[in-house]
Amino acid sequence: MGKYKYRVVDSDAHYMEGLDQLVDYFPEPWKSRMIGGSGKDKASIAGIYPISTGDRSVFGRIQRDEFTEMQRNAGGFTPEIIPDVMEFLGVDAINMLSQKMLTFSRIKGDDERATLLANAYTDYMLDKVVNPDEGIYTMAPLPFQEPKEAVELIDRVSHEKGIIGGCFVTAGPEPPFGNRKYDPIYEAAEANDLPIVFHAGGGGIDEFVSAGYEKFIETHVLGFLMANQSQITSLVIQGIPEKFPNLKIVFQESGVFWIPLMMHRLDTEYLKRQSEAPLLKKKPSEYIKDMYFGIQPLEVPEDLSYLRQVIDMIGGADRLLYASDYPHWDYDPPSAITDLSILSDDEKQRVLAGTAHEVFGI
Amino acid sequence: MTSVPICDVTELPPGERKIVELEGKSIGVFNIEGKYYAASNTCPHRGGPVCTGRIGNELLADFVGVGLRVKEHFGSNLVLACPWHGWEFNLETGAHLGDSRISLPVYEVTIHDKKLFIEI
Repeated sequence: MGKYKYRVVDSDAHYMEGLDQLVDYFPEPWKSRMIGGSGKDKASIAGIYPISTGDRSVFGRIQRDEFTEMQRNAGGFTPEIIPDVMEFLGVDAINMLSQKMLTFSRIKGDDERATLLANAYTDYMLDKVVNPDEGIYTMAPLPFQEPKEAVELIDRVSHEKGIIGGCFVTAGPEPPFGNRKYDPIYEAAEANDLPIVFHAGGGGIDEFVSAGYEKFIETHVLGFLMANQSQITSLVIQGIPEKFPNLKIVFQESGVFWIPLMMHRLDTEYLKRQSEAPLLKKKPSEYIKDMYFGIQPLEVPEDLSYLRQVIDMIGGADRLLYASDYPHWDYDPPSAITDLSILSDDEKQRVLAGTAHEVFGI
Repeated sequence: MTSVPICDVTELPPGERKIVELEGKSIGVFNIEGKYYAASNTCPHRGGPVCTGRIGNELLADFVGVGLRVKEHFGSNLVLACPWHGWEFNLETGAHLGDSRISLPVYEVTIHDKKLFIEI
């Protein structure tokens, strides 16, 4: 126990890996390509993997001084920084997600790159970063472009104590994640008791409006949300929870108010178009109430009773996982939960760590 | 429960339906391949004329294997679809296909002396 009187598990923090950290875990000829021919020893990021859009710091307004200080002390975002991050946040365990996987949606033609990155990231994290004894975990990024390779990765690393999930970025997959082409991934995850975390991502979110939005606030408010809305709709209507009833499904990084919206909208349509979802044995909202949701970025209305209603509508605090999204610009510290007067002490502990224990076994 | 006469059986041959007004209620009576059904003609959703809608078989689907296309097929249950918004009801039980807690009132149809009656 650290800062808070509760045990706190952060279900979504990001490991800000640089490709120079991963380069030794790539096979040739990619390793050489990344190092480049000019004698540089830093891997070239832009040449291999796309980057996300928009200025997260609102052009210098958000200053993460404590993070800069941590990086300075550790010489960059290195494995050594993680205990400092955990202490700063006040968490007892942390689930680090790959930063680079968030732009998988922008890898279009050469779909091999997602598989390469997923394997290199996982191997690097197992080798240098994850440490279950210290509460440091990660998830295998799953390359949706190559389902067979995703299955191989799951089968290869699921037994590792430090790997607590498989992670899909929700922006970009064509067709969306309910399609049968992804079935083998869900089958492998279910067989290995590996939760699948569907996580919104920044890469490609401008593409929801063909010419792009004007400001990043527009992109961020809608883009992350629409990616998750697309995928939860596809998963439920295509009957993934019926096909794989023991698969644990988590959604992250769209707050919580969108969940009842999707439940009620899907139910309303389902009553009119049930024959288009013939695998379902109950209303869509009932499947959503079996899923889990990261809280970040938590919407906190002036009248907190609205948030209480939302939590009740989705099946209670048991559905929610504390998730910081640190060090991203809009992260939520654990006080986003501990300060909430609408939750009981037991509910706070459930959100802060109990749900993570149920889902990830940590 | 009272038996209310509807018509002679010859007036409702297979494949035909009648909408009748009984005790202030609009009710649909159907002859489907020689078997009779009756249901309220007021959809519990928005009050649409459900008994004027399409009758078909319930669409079912089987998960036949990982990565395989779900196998869709028609089952034997007859389904009545409201023409206003597509709410579908099991013609025999009245249960909504998507939520059995929602139901359309259905009535028993009987035959006496070559006449059809609804038990209402």
